[in-house]
Amino acid sequence: MTPEEESDALLDALARGEPPGCGDPAARLLAVLLEDVTGLAELAELAELGQRRSSVSMTPST
Amino acid sequence: MTTGPIRAGIMPIVSEGSVADAKIGVRLASRLPARTDDSDLRELTSLAVQGDRGAIESLLGELRPRVVRYCRARLGRVAGQYHIADDVAQEVCIAVLSALPRYRDMGRPFASFVFGIASHKVADALRSSVRSAVPTQDLPDGPDDGPGPEETVVRYIEVEYARRLLARLPDTQRELLLMRVVSGLSAEETGNVLGMSPGAVRVAQHRALARLRQMAELESA
Repeated sequence: MTPEEESDALLDALARGEPPGCGDPAARLLAVLLEDVTGLAELAELAELGQRRSSVSMTPST
Repeated sequence: MTTGPIRAGIMPIVSEGSVADAKIGVRLASRLPARTDDSDLRELTSLAVQGDRGAIESLLGELRPRVVRYCRARLGRVAGQYHIADDVAQEVCIAVLSALPRYRDMGRPFASFVFGIASHKVADALRSSVRSAVPTQDLPDGPDDGPGPEETVVRYIEVEYARRLLARLPDTQRELLLMRVVSGLSAEETGNVLGMSPGAVRVAQHRALARLRQMAELESA
């Protein structure tokens, strides 16, 4: 595997929420940021959206 | 004969950092839903373009969390909250819904189309210097199940550190890393948004990671 392919695999793994490898500060920084933007508030918001879907039409006008 | 630490009877050293990294992985794994297969997404998009309400909702359900994460990563918090980033994410979703009937599949992944819109909306928001007052949340009425104050402060410091180093990367490198990790776009999809070939994306993201690693190591030295 080339270094570029290794980086590609690392980014794919981080995007899936896999823990960053020990000793890689770049991976850890990205994982920390991803965790922060995937906040619990967002999940609550998504649950609320799911409830609203049953009563609000999301179909765009044509 | 192996010389590995476990076979040799030596307990592996588990640092605080490795435990913290594992915790991040566990927390994220429970929050990040599995990504819809690309071919399923293409079929979903085709149905959504034809006005299939269920397909539109499923498509939005798939893409919206990724758009929210992208906007939050790019715009950050204001007064400790993600209100502005979440508002921009909502604008992106509305723009996508409005553009959906006119969308034609020209071989470009739909996610690239969505994040092209998201990228422009975020740029507009960044250009806008006027930021309105942010309403504070109502005082909590019950027990707070979130992390305690100490953990919150530690996380805040870590996240701000991550943002500070990412901000020092060239724009394209930062955008690449955020699209790949935060938005979950593939190298091909990211290349479509940024006008680069997948090969060029892979080279650039490798350089971006190396640069980020170098900056972090210099800061901690």
